[in-house]
Amino acid sequence: MVAALRQLSSRMLTANNSAKRTPHNSLDWMLWGVAWLGVLVILGLPLLGLIPALNDGLSANNWLLLWADSQTLPALKLTLFSAGISTIWALWLACSLVFLFYPSRAWQRLQRQLPVFLALPHAAFAIGLVLLLAPSGWLVRLIAPFFAWTAPPNWITTQDPYALSLTLALVLKETWFLLWILTSLLNQEWLLKQSLVAQSLGYGRWQMGWQILFPQLLKRLAWPLLAVFAYGLSVVDMALIIGPSTPPTLAVLAWQWFTDPDPSQQLKAQSLALLLIGLLLMGAALGYLAYLVLSKRLATPTGHRHKLRTYPVLKLALSSLLSLPVWLALFLLLLWSLAGSWFFPQIIPDDFSLNAWHRAAFEPFSTTIFIASCCVFIALPLTLLWLEWGSKQQAWLYLSLIIPALPFTAAQYQVALLLNFDGNLAAVIWSHLAWVLPYMLLTLAGAYRNFDERFVLTAKTLTYSHWQACIYIKWPMLIRPILAACAVGFAVSVAQYLPTLFIGGGRIETVTTEAVSLSAGGNRASLAVQAVLQALLPLLAFVLATSLSQWLGRNHQGLK
Amino acid sequence: MLSVQNLSIQQQKHFLIRNLSLQVNAGEVLTLMGASGVGKSTLLSWLIGALPAAFVASGQAYLNQRPIDQLPTEQRQIGILFQDDLLFPHLNVGGNLGFALPAKIKGAERKLQIEAALAQAGLTGFYRRDPSSLSGGQRARVSVLRALLAQPQALLLDEPFARLDTELRQQFRQFVFTQIAALKIPAILVTHDHTDSPEGGCILRLEEQRYAR
Repeated sequence: MVAALRQLSSRMLTANNSAKRTPHNSLDWMLWGVAWLGVLVILGLPLLGLIPALNDGLSANNWLLLWADSQTLPALKLTLFSAGISTIWALWLACSLVFLFYPSRAWQRLQRQLPVFLALPHAAFAIGLVLLLAPSGWLVRLIAPFFAWTAPPNWITTQDPYALSLTLALVLKETWFLLWILTSLLNQEWLLKQSLVAQSLGYGRWQMGWQILFPQLLKRLAWPLLAVFAYGLSVVDMALIIGPSTPPTLAVLAWQWFTDPDPSQQLKAQSLALLLIGLLLMGAALGYLAYLVLSKRLATPTGHRHKLRTYPVLKLALSSLLSLPVWLALFLLLLWSLAGSWFFPQIIPDDFSLNAWHRAAFEPFSTTIFIASCCVFIALPLTLLWLEWGSKQQAWLYLSLIIPALPFTAAQYQVALLLNFDGNLAAVIWSHLAWVLPYMLLTLAGAYRNFDERFVLTAKTLTYSHWQACIYIKWPMLIRPILAACAVGFAVSVAQYLPTLFIGGGRIETVTTEAVSLSAGGNRASLAVQAVLQALLPLLAFVLATSLSQWLGRNHQGLK
Repeated sequence: MLSVQNLSIQQQKHFLIRNLSLQVNAGEVLTLMGASGVGKSTLLSWLIGALPAAFVASGQAYLNQRPIDQLPTEQRQIGILFQDDLLFPHLNVGGNLGFALPAKIKGAERKLQIEAALAQAGLTGFYRRDPSSLSGGQRARVSVLRALLAQPQALLLDEPFARLDTELRQQFRQFVFTQIAALKIPAILVTHDHTDSPEGGCILRLEEQRYAR
């Protein structure tokens, strides 16, 4: 007989007898400790290293030196221009693509290309663009017959003094990055529903996009946009390849000064690194201001419906101008790496040969694979432990993606010097992890959040511990996002230029450092080989991750 | 026997459940009913030790005279079935059931027991099937088998029939109650539909607490 009794008494409960059981046993505590230790060593130490850097950088004397240098002001203008304009344009382009195409078939086509564009390292892309746009590049060769040119015209297209080509390269690359972020936002149902409602009220897609979706997307894009701006501020590899040289951008200038044996130059570099952080904060403040103004303007709609149009020209222009250069750049890299001789103004090489491949140095290639694999093998367990046992307050983990790479790497270098730990592979791996770990966390966090915790609960009711539930149920179920995160981590490590050179003391050569240093020389075939190798590695990682997850999921249709 | 004594659950200052005591004997099913949000599912999550952090609870729970309210979920020996079957998608049907079967059953005996369980649920030959290839009713039955193969001392049912259509529902209900009776364990069923309650079973209606502290 079931006896059920329910008393409604007004007796007050005392708070102290209502303790919730503590979820931690000793194993949980240990895992928590490992997660924190790893994260602190990788991300905490460099952040600590920023403190003395801030101290040195703030000295008034350094600022006077910096101000007195004739290169500072023009470099500042170039940096502000290339970073600012590229961020704004990338935002406009990425949003335009979404409003024009989502969720049409053309959108699916763009989506399919996305992994390739994301995986393509900045340096390889910039080299490909140079091969495309330089006065002796492929585009000029295309039109050369019409003007009967036998020598490259005396133009300045790439490495132009206005940083236009650098800006273009940044716009193209960052548009795809923002599009990737937007893709994950668009999977959320509310966006689709809102756009349906707005359309049923008589607004066209384009207008609805900018008036209804844009302000909401902007809020969620705040951090990615800041990361894009920070990247533009402190990019060195791309700027060396395709950017202006006298004067260069601030980041390149700072890098040159940091490596200068003259101590007064190094002092200037310290302040310059700080200036980059200042510019970032300024950009963030301006961006926020612009957001406020925009929200205020959109707060009182006029009710005016734009004429419904389909924008065929804009659609064609955007979809081709954004993807064609990337494919051409990749194609030219491959073509150049196989070219025996290729004189101006031939559109295809005069003859093909594998000479450049035979002559190529493959040590950087294997070093890169080693470093990137180590990074993933360290970062993956840490990522999983952190997501499961670490703190839920994790915004600070992404600081390395927001702080311009130059001051951050300088801080890493300070720490490495202090610990007498620089110029070797382990140090380079440690420095790469500061970007690999946050990116892997970022890629996995979404899938992790969306995981149905009742699966873990079910495993526990079947008498398994929390740790066992993760090992047997949760992580195997998340194998697809985990593999994707591994590929991202690998690609991030491959693309690192500044930390490899800085922390490696110039002694560790990867495909990235090799490609950048060859870009200053004249041998285009050798350059193309290293660039192809650099582009190949992340692509291989993504292909491997995708096929592995398909193979693992072949008998389990329910795996997401 | 599963018993709860003087249970109160509050969220901030709002009492969800106040001084609730109940007792369910072996082989019996107690049906918990009440409007959405009165705390039926919260009560179940407290019973298995997975109360969300936003809640504070006081009170005791005993399973066969053993106090369980301070134990971690995995030591309570209480199984739970949700509205969704929650079969592990990376394991096949046999793998899902094998995951539940205690480790003390070893070797070939494991497969025999799993096959036997499948057979008595009318699922002979489903050992190697991927969960996604099963119908809703078949998946539901596998999830019951999974919960029971772990040899729980009590079973909680959180609206497990809600997703099934009327005909399937009737069959599945019968299947579940037969299993519970055969294992002689206490069970608590949360539902919105009073026809879900087994014949002769006790129904407890939870009402909304209007007293704020």
